[in-house]
Amino acid sequence: MVTFKELSYVYAPDMPYKTTALDRVDLDITEGKITAIIGKTGSGKSTLVQHLNALLLPTSGTLEIEGYTIKAGEKTSKLKELRRKVGLVFQFSEYQLFEETIIKDVAFGPKNFGVSEEEALERAKKALELVGLDPSYYQRSPLDISGGQKRRAAIAGILAIEPEIIVLDEPTAGLDPKGAKEMIGLFAMLNKKMHKTIIIVTHDNEIVYDFADDVTLLDGGKVVCKMKAHDFFAERELLESHDIYRPRIVYLKELLKDKGIMIPDDIHTLADLAAFWRDHE
Amino acid sequence: MNNIVFGKYIPLDTPIHRLDPRAKILAMLIALVAIFIPAGWYGYGIIAVVILFVIHLSKIKLKVIFKAFKPMIFMMCFLLVINVLSVKEGALLLDLGFLEIYSKAIIDTLYIIVRLLLMIMITTILTMTTKPLDLTLGIEYLLTPFKKIGVPAHEIAMIISIALRFIPTIIEETMRIMNSQKSRGVDFEEGKLKEKISAIISLIVPLFSVSLLRADELANAMEARGYVPQAPRTRYRRLKYERRDLILVIGAFLLLALMITLAIVI
Ligand SMILES: Nc1ncnc2c1ncn2[C@@H]1O[C@H](COP(=O)(O)OP(=O)(O)OP(=O)(O)O)[C@@H](O)[C@H]1O
Ligand SMILES: [Mg+2]
Repeated sequence: MVTFKELSYVYAPDMPYKTTALDRVDLDITEGKITAIIGKTGSGKSTLVQHLNALLLPTSGTLEIEGYTIKAGEKTSKLKELRRKVGLVFQFSEYQLFEETIIKDVAFGPKNFGVSEEEALERAKKALELVGLDPSYYQRSPLDISGGQKRRAAIAGILAIEPEIIVLDEPTAGLDPKGAKEMIGLFAMLNKKMHKTIIIVTHDNEIVYDFADDVTLLDGGKVVCKMKAHDFFAERELLESHDIYRPRIVYLKELLKDKGIMIPDDIHTLADLAAFWRDHE
Repeated sequence: MNNIVFGKYIPLDTPIHRLDPRAKILAMLIALVAIFIPAGWYGYGIIAVVILFVIHLSKIKLKVIFKAFKPMIFMMCFLLVINVLSVKEGALLLDLGFLEIYSKAIIDTLYIIVRLLLMIMITTILTMTTKPLDLTLGIEYLLTPFKKIGVPAHEIAMIISIALRFIPTIIEETMRIMNSQKSRGVDFEEGKLKEKISAIISLIVPLFSVSLLRADELANAMEARGYVPQAPRTRYRRLKYERRDLILVIGAFLLLALMITLAIVI
């Protein structure tokens, strides 16, 4: 369990223009699940996830993660070990690439954590395969590939570290729809097959509905609610009051319901709906 | 890391903020000259009092200024060592056998520290109380008379304003890249020399590529909107001198005159 307790974070606390980006956040994130963090621009999502590997330290409150307790004002030792366990892929992660070749760049992370050169290259190859960059990319410079490919390389750079918890800040922004789907499919696979905890920040509610187990909604630095994803999108009033659009399937089910056609609650995909329809006919 | 932003404009409404940027720039230049006049400790005392008064008026926290000074402490120590090793004048303060420390070495270092501190204070006041745009507008106006002898006043002002505009962006970018690399196990604080070098490379290379990218984007955006440096242009904002601006400049001149007098008399 990852636990935020009364955690607040203030940017530029000494300045007249200080911003309270997180305001007494209480939150549990279950391990082994896919948790989506959603909320408007500026609601504090990026700030929240940067606490998970101690890049930001709380202004007040505590965070418990992977056996670490990070308390405001107290120094925590062995942060590097925490960063091996919790891999964070940044929003705009494509700007972190720097080595001469893509494969060396992906191997950079594991090497920093003390993995041998050969092993790091092995891991890099595996990670690149996972994100869909074939061997023809290995020797290319990470600086002159497309934005989407850079994003993939950056994600591979974190996967190669083989963290227990994978945190992704808007990993699909800027990818084409097919690429985005593949990428999310990869995270779902890592979750199902390798039991990795996935925490994903996204603006795409279709992704949230299709892939996430839990949803946390942030607004103005506060946690509005934390729910099962499928339950969350059934809360019409909550969604409306926060201007959250419903995924297509939810919308369609509601339309059908309004027309007096009852759809069982356990249908969550268009394919399931189509199958149900066929049986129904 | 946040201490890099010491010169950032802070939007407040104080008498200092309301002054005309041209007057502030002029006064700053005059004050900088005044600092370099060897008017002795009395002189520095007077300048310090004046500057502290202005800081008080502008509501800048002293803490911010000391933060700006912090990175220079290392340089100061270095300077002190050099002075102690090379300056052998004045009274002998301490004889360690292998090393003799003379009073002039200490005093010389102190002079430099005080001067630097005062300079930082003055420039910080200017940049923290003046919008970057006003600052460049001020520079442009002040350079206009030199246009006749071929000084590209507008271009210089534009370059400065773009540079100023990008300082926060680049700081932000630096932080972001540092954080990305920290997530990949880079340790910017500790580590052996080899690790340190690799850490710095992992920061510098992306920073350069991002900066070049940004510069390119900006150039394209400006061109797309028809920017031609030589084209005659009108201004949205006009600067207006008021009495208080005159008072400021005269005050700065008086300070300078006082320093010169002190330097001659003492
Ligand atoms: N480096 C910073 N300095 C000062 N304020 C900041 C900084 N980074 C973020 N903020 C402020 O903190 C608040 C939360 O920002 P954050 O980046 O966490 O939002 P977000 O939910 O990730 O937004 P987005 O969806 O646009 O990525 C915002 O009000 C923002 O202006
Ligand atoms: Mg964000």
